[in-house]
Amino acid sequence: MAKPIKFDESNDNEDLQALFDSIAAGSEVPMHATKPPDPAIDASGDSDDLQALFDSVSAQVGEPTSSVAPAPAGETGSEDSSGVFSSIGQMTRELHDSLRDIGHNQALGEATRGIPDARERLSYIVQMTEQAASRALNAIEIAKPIQDALETDSAALGTRWGKVFANQLSAEEFKVLAADTQTFLSDIPKRTRATNEQLTDIMMAQDFQDLTGQVIKKVVDLVENLERQLLSVLIEAMPPEMHVEPPAGLLNGPVINANGRADVVSNQTQVDDLLESLGF
Amino acid sequence: MPDPSKIKFLVVDDFSTMRRIVRNLLKELGYTQAEEAEDGAVALQKLKGGGFDFVVSDWNMPNMDGLQLLQAVRADPTLKHLPVLMITAEAKKENIIAAAQSGASGYIVKPFTAGTLNDKLVKIFEKLEQSAA
Repeated sequence: MAKPIKFDESNDNEDLQALFDSIAAGSEVPMHATKPPDPAIDASGDSDDLQALFDSVSAQVGEPTSSVAPAPAGETGSEDSSGVFSSIGQMTRELHDSLRDIGHNQALGEATRGIPDARERLSYIVQMTEQAASRALNAIEIAKPIQDALETDSAALGTRWGKVFANQLSAEEFKVLAADTQTFLSDIPKRTRATNEQLTDIMMAQDFQDLTGQVIKKVVDLVENLERQLLSVLIEAMPPEMHVEPPAGLLNGPVINANGRADVVSNQTQVDDLLESLGF
Repeated sequence: MPDPSKIKFLVVDDFSTMRRIVRNLLKELGYTQAEEAEDGAVALQKLKGGGFDFVVSDWNMPNMDGLQLLQAVRADPTLKHLPVLMITAEAKKENIIAAAQSGASGYIVKPFTAGTLNDKLVKIFEKLEQSAA
């Protein structure tokens, strides 16, 4: 969360860094396990000054929720930077705790885990629509020549029959025409059946829409959820002074984790007891 | 105990699924007349149209939330007599106190059971009868 600060003027750089990291790492390291200002850290032996500095910094940072020991000061007297340093460590710790308490890191984690899933689903949709388009085009490519041939053949026959009625065909030619026409007519059902088959295939290819519709809905839900989580983390991450104070205080939604909270109830019995105690 | 089927409910919640659940529960308990509203503003409009005997409302809703609806109902001389039962996920003591102080007739916290709903309804009707007596 917090980035290490370049701290080049002090000997106890690494120890401070380790302390900072342990604060930022959160609850795994209970703060009372942190080394108090240790004369061994202080190369020049100014432990009284160090203690005074420690006191002033912890007064400045205020009462932490857990007993965070502010980082021991650099001995070069750069009080400002170490104050900032410990404030940042403090804020980082608080942010981590808040997020953990609210269950955000878990919820965010779940939300972001959904992203590869969303990608997969979108790929599936691309695949399905491609398949459907392909299938439809294939069917069209098969059916079209059949229709074209039907048109050509019937047109040719029609021309020949025109000649018959214009008395331009001989008896022999007429017999041939009659035979050809007979063949043509008996072939028609086969060709129209073939075309119908392709039309049915085109119809069946539309079934992708049901499947892709369902998958799209899932992706939309996923994205909305992710957006919500990110926004609320953003809001939580703002320093306390920037928080917008209630009326939203009464619009919190369901309590996710009542642990350690004295301001919420956990069941109907508690609701009833509270109301009774107030005379309602 | 008044005839359940004669009582006209207004169920207010921004989630249609929850409205459906509440309506079905009411129906099972014999309260067969119910209409719906998806937020406090729509609900207030419907109530002002008259004919309702009971309001069951969520809290967290857009446009006008449940508390605001409750307050508006209690401020309206034609509506202030209506029982308003809150059914909501809001579980802060602050919420419960605010609702009670604003004149809520009951407060059910989600998730809830059919039994709880029935208990609260019965209790509210008993109170109404007592104050009418």
